[in-house]
Amino acid sequence: MKLKYILGAAAISIALSAPVAAQTFNWRAHEGQTINLMLNNHPWSQAMRDLAAEFTAKTGIKTQIEIFNEEQFRARLTTLMQGKSADLDVYMSLTSREGAIFEKAGWYADLAPLMADKAMTMPDFNYEDFSASIRAASTFGNRIVALPINQEGPLFYWRKDIFEKCKVAEPKAIEDLPETAKALKTCDASMGVWAARGLRGAIPYALTAFINNQGGSYATPDGKPGLSQPNTLKGLAMYASLLKDYGPPGALNHTFTQVIELLGQGRIAMTHESSNEFANIMRFPGRAQDLGVTVLPPGRETKISKPVAIGWTVTISPNSQRRPASWYFLQWATSREIQTKLIANGVAPPRASVFEGQEFNKWIAEMPIRKAWADSLIEIGKTGTGVYQSPTERVPEARDIIGTAVQEIVQGASPVDAARKADEALAKLQ
Amino acid sequence: MRTSSAHVLAGYHWMAAPAMVFTIGMIGFPIGYAIWLSLSNVPPGGTPVFIGLDNYARLVKDPEFWNAFKLTVSLYVMSLSMQLVLGTWLGLLLGRSRAAQGLTRVILVSPFMLPPVVVGMMAIVILDPSFGIANWLLAQIGLPPGLWLSDPRTVLFTFAVLDTWQWTPFVALIVMGGYLSLPGEVFEAVELDGATSFQRFWHVTLPLLGPTLVTAAVLRSVDILRFFDVIYLTTQGGPGNSSTTLNILAYRRGFEFFDFGYASAIMITLSAVVLGSVLIFSKLRAAVAW
Repeated sequence: MKLKYILGAAAISIALSAPVAAQTFNWRAHEGQTINLMLNNHPWSQAMRDLAAEFTAKTGIKTQIEIFNEEQFRARLTTLMQGKSADLDVYMSLTSREGAIFEKAGWYADLAPLMADKAMTMPDFNYEDFSASIRAASTFGNRIVALPINQEGPLFYWRKDIFEKCKVAEPKAIEDLPETAKALKTCDASMGVWAARGLRGAIPYALTAFINNQGGSYATPDGKPGLSQPNTLKGLAMYASLLKDYGPPGALNHTFTQVIELLGQGRIAMTHESSNEFANIMRFPGRAQDLGVTVLPPGRETKISKPVAIGWTVTISPNSQRRPASWYFLQWATSREIQTKLIANGVAPPRASVFEGQEFNKWIAEMPIRKAWADSLIEIGKTGTGVYQSPTERVPEARDIIGTAVQEIVQGASPVDAARKADEALAKLQ
Repeated sequence: MRTSSAHVLAGYHWMAAPAMVFTIGMIGFPIGYAIWLSLSNVPPGGTPVFIGLDNYARLVKDPEFWNAFKLTVSLYVMSLSMQLVLGTWLGLLLGRSRAAQGLTRVILVSPFMLPPVVVGMMAIVILDPSFGIANWLLAQIGLPPGLWLSDPRTVLFTFAVLDTWQWTPFVALIVMGGYLSLPGEVFEAVELDGATSFQRFWHVTLPLLGPTLVTAAVLRSVDILRFFDVIYLTTQGGPGNSSTTLNILAYRRGFEFFDFGYASAIMITLSAVVLGSVLIFSKLRAAVAW
């Protein structure tokens, strides 16, 4: 399936590079229009709200931006799309999560024809500047449905000062994590040791590397749900036991907001949380100096390191009556110029030219932790995966079932029983 | 003469037409549409396809639905009984203490003036075992910490307590109003007969307050069965499914899993439960009327 998307993306790239009649692109061609954007609460969205005036000054197109927290964002988006509302022009989408469902529902406009139109697309847009894997995540057959706005994945954050004080070595293999946690707890029983996502739908994002690195997989070799496989069970059990034995009280209702708060306030020694939250963590006093960041350690025997690596995208509603003006916004928002500006907001740029560019390198050279963060992103960009559930198109539901299994283990269920129950539920989604 | 008046009035029936149109448009249509969706398979982005009672048949066999049903009823029973008992006690206290009525009424109104989203945020800030102030306060008086909304065994009761905190004053105000309107001579007569405080309350006050209490119960029943916002903000139905009430289940099925037809069937069922409870209380009201 993935190969199909990559081939599709390649075919589109070739088609786009074919010579066409010379046409002139004009940033002010749609002056006077107003487009409506609905965005998920994210560092990128907040930056867009701040930079929107620049877009209006450049194009004469006004923007009306609404930002919601993720759950409210999804609920409102579903309502508008199901109702075929023409009010919405531009929205954010996590194609690795909902891409298949949205594409089947016809909730994405096709950007390929717009991209192929030289009168509509800025000359230096350069779609190939986004890496092939990032492009593939938003390509369905011959259709390009969205443009990437960031790249992200969970990273391992740890307090170097606490490790040093307790004379505990940084874990070199994922199997070292329980021992590391135990040693830290023994060193200072009043210190919080570990935190991670415990809210069911949010768990698989952080859990996946625990499974993959130990040689497990969400699927069996023949494509069936595979949580009951021995190595997958190891991952489930380790994630749950870290949360149960060393996690904060109330962890089962925690998602990234609580985890980041605990890390930022200096109340935990380590976590596995989103690269996206890097800028927020750095705002807490002292964390830029005492924190380390890297990719979660690989399996000792397996040598596998395969965390989640995904990216949010921005797209156009097929019901939009202002599609050209919306396309102008997408180009501007994902341009090299804007992505360079977003670096300061901690938005990891999906364009290779920005990631390897002078400005980005100057920014990361200012602090060692920024360099570590950028190196980790490069690594997960190469080794990561966008698949973090068993094979199904009903991705949100599948992730919910996997998260429920982890919650049950935390609450005392046997990993074998919880995994078997989850596998049965997951099989019904196939 | 009477026939003639009725005839004249009948000629003006058309004047009710705007109200009828409004009622049909704003109330009848959404309910009718929800029923239609509950009888359909509604794919995301697609047109509803009529499937008869299939969604309801699926519902009957779905253990998640029955779990949600059980939780909804449990929450309802816990919340309503606490609110009626505490509300009656508080209402009578206020009714008897004239000095406390003015300022206390204003203070009492404040919890139920709060939007549910504020209550949810307050619950997060106060009850989160890692960040909240509740456990800190317990520690100060030497009590062990609680997991509140993070423990499947306590989550539902914690929601019932939250709802009781917010809405008991509402019941109290209704009870107070009812108590102040009761005929004073009855109480004087009972007092002359030498009844104890408990006898006065049990044999006189409570029966006389019957219709008032039933009214309060009807109003709270409808609201408790619709209890959604605070759960969604704090636990989203978790841990596991321990706070997934029918509202939460329908929301998740519809907006998170794109299963709109099934979500509608759940909501129609819940609406029937709400209607059923209102009808039962209506019968009860007739029984306790004096």
